Amino acid sequence: MEKQDILKTVNAVFIDTLDNEDIVLSYDTTANDVEDWDSLNHIQLVVAIEKQFKIRFTSHEIQSWKNVGEMIDCIQTKV
Amino acid sequence: MQLTVGDKFTEKFIVSPVVYEGFISIFKDKNPLHTDESFAMGHGFKGLVMHGNILNGFLSFFIGECLPGKNVIIHSQEIQYKNPVYLNDELLLTAEVTGIYESVGVVEFKFNFKNSDALMVAKGKIQIGLLK
Repeated sequence: MEKQDILKTVNAVFIDTLDNEDIVLSYDTTANDVEDWDSLNHIQLVVAIEKQFKIRFTSHEIQSWKNVGEMIDCIQTKV
Repeated sequence: MQLTVGDKFTEKFIVSPVVYEGFISIFKDKNPLHTDESFAMGHGFKGLVMHGNILNGFLSFFIGECLPGKNVIIHSQEIQYKNPVYLNDELLLTAEVTGIYESVGVVEFKFNFKNSDALMVAKGKIQIGLLK
């Protein structure tokens, strides 16, 4: 799966989970750039992404991400 | 807490007068559907209809006290009420683990409540977090 396709799908997950149609993610996006992307919503985002792609992350993987691009790199290794 | 997708739990509850009166005492919902038998029966029910949110109290007890671990917190829950619950009804809660997300310490359940006639009175989903 191409990274751009993963980004598009992840963006849709963010819009649905955070109930914000205005979200436009890029590889450089961090939690500081997205309203309501706090620690509790981060849990819901991870669960939603795991469901969407039918994958599982490890806690180590999640903690290592510095931005959306690194999340997408991680997803790409699993799909 | 060791859980596996497909694990099932059951717990019995009774909507006793203590539960019913306690709910009203605490939350003050005295809508006639819950407190006026003639009103309830006039709307097609067999008697006083118990507050649906009493079942949420049972769910709280189940999550907090019946799972094989106390390090839990409810993140979210959805419930659909399918049939009325009456005073002194005995309810059987069945909850099944439907998803485990170890990376973020999350477990999801689907559940239902059935009365002593095996009629489903409510069903829904709960997501809990496992506290570190």
